[in-house]
Amino acid sequence: MARRNRKKNQAGFVFPVPLAAVLVVLAGFSLFYVCLKAKTEALGQEIKALEARSAQLRQDVIREQCEWASRLAPASMEQALKAHGLVMTWPGRDQIVRMKADGTIDGPLTPEMRPPVRYARVDRVVMND
Amino acid sequence: MTEIRRTARYIWVSVVLCAALAGLVVRLVILHAAMPDAGRTRTVKNRTFCETLQVPRGRILDGSATANILAANIGVKDVWVDPAPLAASNRIAAVAGPLARALNLDAAELASRMNQTNRHFAYVARFVPQEKAAEVARLKLPSVHFSDSMARHYPQGAMLCHVMGFVNHDGVGSSGIEQCMEGYLKGTPGLRESRLDGRRREMYDRRVREIAPREGSDVVLTIDQNLQYMLEKALDAAMEQHQARAAMAILQRVKTGEILAMVNRPGFDPNRFREAKDPEKLNRAIGYVYEPGSTFKVAVIAAALDKGIVTPQTVFDCENGRWLYQNRILRDYHPYGRLEVADILKKSSNIGAAKIAILMGDTMLEESLRAFRIGSPLGIDLPGEEGGILRPVSKWTAISSSRIAIGQGVAVTALQMLGVMCGIANNGQIMRPYVVKEVVSASGTVLMRQSPHVVSRPIRPETAMLMRKLLSRVTEEGGTGVKARVEGFTVAGKTGTAQKVIAGRYSESEYMASFVGFLPSEAPEIGMIVVLDEPQPLHTGGLVAAPVFGEVAEQAVRYLGLLPAAGPEQTALYYASKATQP
Repeated sequence: MARRNRKKNQAGFVFPVPLAAVLVVLAGFSLFYVCLKAKTEALGQEIKALEARSAQLRQDVIREQCEWASRLAPASMEQALKAHGLVMTWPGRDQIVRMKADGTIDGPLTPEMRPPVRYARVDRVVMND
Repeated sequence: MTEIRRTARYIWVSVVLCAALAGLVVRLVILHAAMPDAGRTRTVKNRTFCETLQVPRGRILDGSATANILAANIGVKDVWVDPAPLAASNRIAAVAGPLARALNLDAAELASRMNQTNRHFAYVARFVPQEKAAEVARLKLPSVHFSDSMARHYPQGAMLCHVMGFVNHDGVGSSGIEQCMEGYLKGTPGLRESRLDGRRREMYDRRVREIAPREGSDVVLTIDQNLQYMLEKALDAAMEQHQARAAMAILQRVKTGEILAMVNRPGFDPNRFREAKDPEKLNRAIGYVYEPGSTFKVAVIAAALDKGIVTPQTVFDCENGRWLYQNRILRDYHPYGRLEVADILKKSSNIGAAKIAILMGDTMLEESLRAFRIGSPLGIDLPGEEGGILRPVSKWTAISSSRIAIGQGVAVTALQMLGVMCGIANNGQIMRPYVVKEVVSASGTVLMRQSPHVVSRPIRPETAMLMRKLLSRVTEEGGTGVKARVEGFTVAGKTGTAQKVIAGRYSESEYMASFVGFLPSEAPEIGMIVVLDEPQPLHTGGLVAAPVFGEVAEQAVRYLGLLPAAGPEQTALYYASKATQP
């Protein structure tokens, strides 16, 4: 009777190959799910941050608009002019020229109605007379 | 033996693992399927959060080409504390001190507010500017929290305060445009429902519901901030010069009824509306009735001319300034003999106007005045408009018509008096005054646009034209409104100096001085009324109110680019006079 080769004998429990394959596939799917979940989470956080940033920027725009409106207010303009020593008055009627779209002058500033032109005059200084 | 033991070991491990997994499965089944309703509801509630998505209230813009911002919502922070842990750890003083210093609050008062062991919420300060809140956050004080909020901001301060009104601390418009346009301005907040993880963070992929907010719409006014400033500045100067108790003025576009400027004094800063007293918040121009005095003669004489009772050439005896009628004496400011109707208006004779009214008869007079919308509101799109007081003719006494003719025994708002004058300027058609030009949604869609609307036609166009000529004489030499003149333009108008009723009697020292008019008188574009309450020591409309009219009208015609409607002769004369000036 031939002696049994103990080295060739498969010792203990042998993990079934199909089960191992199923487990590997499941593990793969789980990893994939975890990756997707992490990515979704990251995107969600990014969306949230962008939402907050958008709201903040909108607020900043309104604040700047208010600041600008405040500076453009007639009272502020007047104060600024005063601070810079600028004296501005409304133009006289004879200083306003209104042009129509066709290039003609509108209103009272027709040539005959314009105030007479006054040129600067330098009196001749008689020397060694 | 070894093989058996190894197999047994595998079996044991498998059994333990299976048992653990089975336990987890059972627990999962219990949690998801077999949990009592109350427990499940509690769990879902704990993991769910609902957030209201706040939207800024719409802006209020002026009617100029640049659409300047008059009101807008800005983001602010509410600062609050959780008093319970602070009280438990005896750290109230350590927190209240720095917090009060940073927010300019009273430390003792703040500490007493924080000293509540059983509460978990107490406001420290509301509507704190974000920069200030950031400063407080840098202090890293325990149990101090911040929440986002919105505050209404009026960048122009007190300018146009009565027209715009204000928004209360709950964000609800409580006066002026803010109140009457609340539906458009407030917008619709959105809603977000989502799930939280174990660390109370939102799980962005589990958002259940998201309803986008709808921003409030912008309200564009007819009022131009530059014209408003001109009127406010001139009125403030007049108030100071004449030490008046109050004042009001309105600038209106004659043909459409658009209000270009509306000023009331005293005023208030809507950014600090809580500090304002009730009389300061009153929009006097539409909500304060007063006896108009001589300006009211315009309505009476226009009605008499329209009904054909008199002509401009009809002569009346003005009794040398003193007339006894129904045992009551009526006086003129200056004594006059015989005056034509045209001169009665120009010189503002009380006796002449009273005789015209008596000639009309009570019923006709009442009907005519009601046609001028005296006694009923004009329907301006602002809250708080008064309709004035005109008693029914059945309650008139024998002298009522003679007194109503001179603006006594009848009460109007400044807006109504301007309506009468603009009706004459607009060929006998009184337009509904309005301050809201249009409402524009955040996406730029025009939701509402106002259009001019005739509310009454008290006189015929021919009568209106005649009245314009007669009223132009008031600002000519010898008239009472000389100081309302504007160089290059013909101004039509009427002065008024009305005695105030104090304790049931006409006061001899307290007056309402007014001037109401329009220009250019040949083709009217703008109408304006200026009223000063109790000016001292000068008190006549011609000396107190007419100069304000003249000053503002001169700037307004330039700003609006109005040209004199007069023929070339008058314009040439104007330039000739300018050329001769040094």
